[in-house]
Amino acid sequence: MTYAYLFKYIIIGDTGVGKSCLLLQFTDKRFQPVHDLTIGVEFGARMVNIDGKQIKLQIWDTAGQESFRSITRSYYRGAAGALLVYDITRRETFNHLTSWLEDARQHSSSNMVIMLIGNKSDLESRRDVKREEGEAFAREHGLIFMETSAKTACNVEEAFINTAKEIYRKIQQGLFDVHNEANGIKIGPQQSISTSLGPSASQQNCRDLGSDAGCC
Amino acid sequence: MSDKDDVESQVITEATLVLEEGNHEPAKNTDKSEPVVSTRKRPEVKSSSDLETPEVLPVQVLQAAEPVSKDVPQTGWGYWGSWGKSLLSSASATVATVGQGISNVIEKAETSLGIPSPSEISAEVKFAAGETNAKENESSSPVMGPFGVFSTISTAVQSTGKSVISGGLDALEFIGKKTMDVIAEGDPGFKRTKGLMNRNSTLSQVLREAKEKEELWTSNEVTMETDKKTHYGLLFDEFQGLSHLEALEMLSRESEIKVKSILNSLSGEELEALKFELEQLKEAFSLAEFCEEEEEEKKGDEDFTKEVTELFSQLHVSSKPEKLARVSCFFLDIHAFAIRSLAELTACSIELFHKTAALVLHGGKQEVTAIERKKADVLNPLITAVFLEASNSASYIQDAFQLLLPVLQISLIENRTELPRQELQVQRPLPEH
Repeated sequence: MTYAYLFKYIIIGDTGVGKSCLLLQFTDKRFQPVHDLTIGVEFGARMVNIDGKQIKLQIWDTAGQESFRSITRSYYRGAAGALLVYDITRRETFNHLTSWLEDARQHSSSNMVIMLIGNKSDLESRRDVKREEGEAFAREHGLIFMETSAKTACNVEEAFINTAKEIYRKIQQGLFDVHNEANGIKIGPQQSISTSLGPSASQQNCRDLGSDAGCC
Repeated sequence: MSDKDDVESQVITEATLVLEEGNHEPAKNTDKSEPVVSTRKRPEVKSSSDLETPEVLPVQVLQAAEPVSKDVPQTGWGYWGSWGKSLLSSASATVATVGQGISNVIEKAETSLGIPSPSEISAEVKFAAGETNAKENESSSPVMGPFGVFSTISTAVQSTGKSVISGGLDALEFIGKKTMDVIAEGDPGFKRTKGLMNRNSTLSQVLREAKEKEELWTSNEVTMETDKKTHYGLLFDEFQGLSHLEALEMLSRESEIKVKSILNSLSGEELEALKFELEQLKEAFSLAEFCEEEEEEKKGDEDFTKEVTELFSQLHVSSKPEKLARVSCFFLDIHAFAIRSLAELTACSIELFHKTAALVLHGGKQEVTAIERKKADVLNPLITAVFLEASNSASYIQDAFQLLLPVLQISLIENRTELPRQELQVQRPLPEH
């Protein structure tokens, strides 16, 4: 399968918030209630369509356990998007967000798009963190925000795809240098020839906009 | 850089044409079983630097052969190096091996240019075969490399008995055509690979690059389902082998930096003691050399199976008898399954290496000293065991395909007697580019 772009994502957040379940729901469209602890990092990949362009998401699902923290930091490098996940039924996972965010900002590209996710929205009766609190945190730190349920699949697609849309928008604005792989973006195989002819990323943008019927 | 490449490939192409012009013997048949034999034992790319230049080698050929072999990474990636080469199948490895093979072959053709009599050539062939066999017997000899292709072909030719001359010439012609194909297909990617290597990039990057190139090529030109199903590189990525490799490399790189900074911070006895321990650990990993050999075999195996697939597809086209087509389908299924399993197994192995790295790093954080060492003692045999399994399965598959070979040969022979010769000639695969 060919693609226009490849985006590297990382999923981070406390242990047990449902990172691996989100990934499984997104890639395999299924829910596994009991999940093994992630060791280091696991991987998933899926193709999505943004503005008529095939985009391959390569997702790095990291271990949430504190003891793995120093290892998972190694994996942040070269990610274009991050899903920062907390569990709406466990306040401490929300309280730890700041430290996760610090890690993410310190070890990855400054342009990285971060999506804040309050997971387990199906467990409304056990809710411990209000939706508004999540929204406020996201606003304060310049993140996108969504509440999801890996169990019911609610908003899972949207979380991954909206992140991709934001990255794509940044590419079109010229904020991302798509030729620098440290940004977590790669041009797909069939694209490489045509784009290497173009002198700058902005030219590419013009072409993209031009080919997009609904835009502008 | 790229200009140079063009010149090089052109030279090879010209040389190949010379070879084919030198072949006045009408090609009576395409003995399809021979290429299979030839890929069974690929010359070791590793030894290309030790390439013994044949005395009569024309300058032109030297130019063609040398840069190609130079582009193959000699060291730097440890045992993964050779494995990496195997994935760059249509790029450096194949070009290099075929390049070596052809240099030898061209030499033979060149020396016999003035006298294009088949008997002369056949004498040359026999001579080369004898020479090679002698060299092969000294298994430690690094010279074996460049003659590998030739020797196996010659041996196959000899074993088939009477058709030494025509068979030998067909084999030479096959190599020539194959070389042109490979160069034509692989050259752009080859250039890119070369550029990448100069940039001192990581293995997984190079592999990804190679895979993408293959992907592109696959989507553009390969429509046969079987080819997609059996593409080792694509499958390897599908099983997340590349990602695990990349992650492993990240961990490895960071660890390396840490080790260096620790070593720099120490001095005197402390430094010596640590160095000693590191050295011991290194020794525990010194099976790398053995690995290299095995990985080379795996590479050969992959090329081998690729060619078998190619042969099968040729068979599909050229042989109408339904029986054979059915049998071919059956083999194709087995082949697809085998490649898939191998890719999965290799990906799993790499995942295990990666997880092992993560666990070692994870565990090491809590208890740093003697226990670490103990862990290494426990882990090393495990790694070794997995490694052996991986290489074993590679050899099993290889052996199994060896067993298939006589079956293919007999069906080919049967098929040939059924079909008029001319038809076979017409359907001989032509270079596509």
